[in-house]
Amino acid sequence: MILRIARKEMTEMVRDGRFRAAGAIVFTLLAGALLLGWQHYREVSAQHAAAQKATRDQWLRQGKKNPHSAAHYGVYAFKPKVPLTMVDRGTDPYTGVAVWLEAHKQNEFKYRPAQDATAVQRFGELTGATVLQLLVPLLIVLLTFNAFSGERELGTLRQLRSLGVSQTDLARGKALGVAGALGLLLVPAALIGVVALTAASGQTDMIASAPRMAWMTLSYLLYFAAFVGISLAVSASAPSSRSALIVLLGFWMFNGLIAPRAASDIAKAVRPAPSAFQFAQGIGKALQGDGHNSASARGKRLEAELLKKYNVDKVEALPITLTGARLQDGEEHGNQVFDAAYSDLWKTFGEQEGVHRAVSVFAPALAVRSTSMAFAGADFPQHAHFAQAAEEYRRMIQRVMNEDIMKNAGSTGVYMAGGDLWRKVPPFSYTAPDAGWVLARQSPSLAILALWCAAAGVAAMWASRRVQVY
Amino acid sequence: MLGTLMKYEWRNLSADRAPLAVALVLGAAIAYGAFNGSGWVRFQRGAISEALSEERERLHGLRTEIPAVESGSKTVSAFADPRLPQSLGRSMGTRYAVMPPAALGSLAIGQSDLYPYYFRVSTSSKETFINNDEIENPVHLLAGRFDLAFVFLYLYPLVILAFSYNIVSAEKESGTLALTLSQPVSLSRVVLAKILPRALFVLALSVLLSVVGVIIGGADLAAEGALWRLLLWAGVTAAYGAFWFALAIAVNALGRGSATNAMMLADAWLLLVIVIPSVLNVAVKAAYPVPSRVELIQAIRVAGDESTRQGSQLLARYLEDHPELAPPSSKPGGPPDFGTLQVAVNEATERKVQPVLAAFDAQLANQQRMVDRFRYLSPAIVAQAAFNDLAGSSAHRYQHFLTQVGAFHGQWREFFVPRILKKEKLSAADLDKLPAFTFREEATAAVTGRVAVAFAGLLIPLLLAGASALTALRRYPVAG
Repeated sequence: MILRIARKEMTEMVRDGRFRAAGAIVFTLLAGALLLGWQHYREVSAQHAAAQKATRDQWLRQGKKNPHSAAHYGVYAFKPKVPLTMVDRGTDPYTGVAVWLEAHKQNEFKYRPAQDATAVQRFGELTGATVLQLLVPLLIVLLTFNAFSGERELGTLRQLRSLGVSQTDLARGKALGVAGALGLLLVPAALIGVVALTAASGQTDMIASAPRMAWMTLSYLLYFAAFVGISLAVSASAPSSRSALIVLLGFWMFNGLIAPRAASDIAKAVRPAPSAFQFAQGIGKALQGDGHNSASARGKRLEAELLKKYNVDKVEALPITLTGARLQDGEEHGNQVFDAAYSDLWKTFGEQEGVHRAVSVFAPALAVRSTSMAFAGADFPQHAHFAQAAEEYRRMIQRVMNEDIMKNAGSTGVYMAGGDLWRKVPPFSYTAPDAGWVLARQSPSLAILALWCAAAGVAAMWASRRVQVY
Repeated sequence: MLGTLMKYEWRNLSADRAPLAVALVLGAAIAYGAFNGSGWVRFQRGAISEALSEERERLHGLRTEIPAVESGSKTVSAFADPRLPQSLGRSMGTRYAVMPPAALGSLAIGQSDLYPYYFRVSTSSKETFINNDEIENPVHLLAGRFDLAFVFLYLYPLVILAFSYNIVSAEKESGTLALTLSQPVSLSRVVLAKILPRALFVLALSVLLSVVGVIIGGADLAAEGALWRLLLWAGVTAAYGAFWFALAIAVNALGRGSATNAMMLADAWLLLVIVIPSVLNVAVKAAYPVPSRVELIQAIRVAGDESTRQGSQLLARYLEDHPELAPPSSKPGGPPDFGTLQVAVNEATERKVQPVLAAFDAQLANQQRMVDRFRYLSPAIVAQAAFNDLAGSSAHRYQHFLTQVGAFHGQWREFFVPRILKKEKLSAADLDKLPAFTFREEATAAVTGRVAVAFAGLLIPLLLAGASALTALRRYPVAG
């Protein structure tokens, strides 16, 4: 029975001109967005790969230099693009693309792509994620708002009842019908996506991103199912199709447009991040240090330690060059300062994310936004993961340079090192976290989506059992 | 007749709870938007005042440090000598160039959360201080903010549509339309009488509430041009609202039922506010792709490396071009000092990078031109641009700021470079002569000019919708 209802619903929808029109628009936008995403991914990843190679060449070919000059010259780290960003670019347009790794300083990422766009960007970017998070739910609403109320208004609900069709079967059948109609749109779009993904990233990368893609697909399916359930529940309990439509459109607005913005503002109010100025001032003060932590105090302590360690009584007798030890000591002090400052900042961002998650209990769009960009590899935690890897690479460069100074610089004249030393620094390589890493962080959001889905299903069943036939 | 009709329509409306509900929803949204906008303005003001007080304290410290170094009571390393123009101009004595939030800044956060609003200008190249981005959770930049501009661009049209989607169809469905039209009155007049009280109510409410919001938000209405801009804001709001009312009538005039009207208007809203802007954004980026910043980084680095290698040659060439700047005691062949070399190296690097940077500016300008040309496709884009302009959070004002920063950077170098080359030492008294930055607000006339174009962009669709409504109303199937 359920299947028969589903087939009838699906046939009716597919034959309906409005569904065809809306479906064609959504499909075109989705396919277009995916292709644009594919092109964007290919361009940007080629650029970044080329730049990463160029910065390495520059490092190797910097000629004869004092190692500390080389450390100041440094290298750049360019954030690689992951293939699934063709579906969801997440926060990528709003985080910088590159960071300069130089001596003494953990720099901020610079050049946010959105700065190189017009204000129209702020209406939202046309990506697969926008279509899936905003437009597909609207399509669901338009397909289902009159599922029950429409039958009642036509008088067909009474007929169905007289035939002995159970209300819950009707609800299940209608849900399946909508799912089938949506499947007609989304399955081909997903296939286009998979083909584009394979073309963009090659087969091996494609297989590597399969778990991420599976989780992303699951979160969207939960999200759509929740919307189908909500729509059916509202349609069954609303007094008329009109009021069902108004309630559902209101919810769609709140879910997709109001809640994300309101969540940003609430998160900023509840867990304010420092201004860039305060952040930099804080780091500056901490780097200078005070009392036992000041540069001169640290210098004295270091000298004493070294004299004791090598069992000599004056600096000149040390078997190592003091300058190198001083530089490394400064780096280590700096590392502590930067670790403290950035972990504070990232903790604040994490707490802000917690506020978003709390709001997602009322608006599933926030939950699916979070899981989608996380599995795409374009959320802030993964940006921070890359930033952390780049910073560790920076620290390694400093250590190699300073140890070389300690060992080889001697105490007189200007010390110069060359290609041999530069080659001691291995090229920067970064492995993005795997799906399990993301899953561990996203399980609350996935749970919220699952809850939404379950609650909407229960509500739909409950409401369909109580639907007014007249 | 019109007056009588309007009076009854208003009575009808007041008996309904709709206006009260509208007032509450719109009022709450506007209050929340104004609160958020003013919070952002306060944040910016706070950061600016901290920066300026840091500068004041630093310069104050130098005033006592310089005499101390001069008299020999304090010894410093050559790099930290506050008397040397290269250390003073590069870091120790640098000053901030600040763009304070505009008088109506709390109305629209716009692009202001994406662009820096203060720079610490130094003698180094512009690229060293221009990336002074504010710290912000990128998710917030992605989602956008709940400010007044959001309320007006997205929610206000929906309130208007909820108020007017069935303005004719409901009367027809309840049978009162034929009855009313049996009186000596035309349908257009009836519609006008029905729409005017609603329009006046919504427009007056939103203008009033946003003015109240602005004032509570701490806007400086005494600032030059602020009242005029507020007036323009009200005008843009009214024109944008009027467009949506006209669209509702035009759709009603097609003679369909209330449910179909609601659906069509919701589609129109979706198309104009969500789909067209995001498609335009994609089209603009595809038509005028901005060169890669990653390649810019490389270009700057390559140019810098080259210039550093050619250092002393560059200096010789530079001094040939500027013989007046040659140090008095320069012995030919002697090694130039670090500060002097740096001047020549910076100059050469910037000359080489200039074409790359120009390519960015040119593409961005092309993008903006294309947006300007195609924004008429959607009144929402037109209104967004006007709101950002009036609130001073547009790319235009930021460019205006950047131009001034560029000029100030030049001034700063003009002060220090000759002193560096002549190996002068500065005294505490010289600190009073340091160039200072004062932001000159965009000319009200320039803003007015751009907003006037926006008015045209709103009035044309308004007139089109109105005209099509009038023609269709003449053929309206009253009984059928």
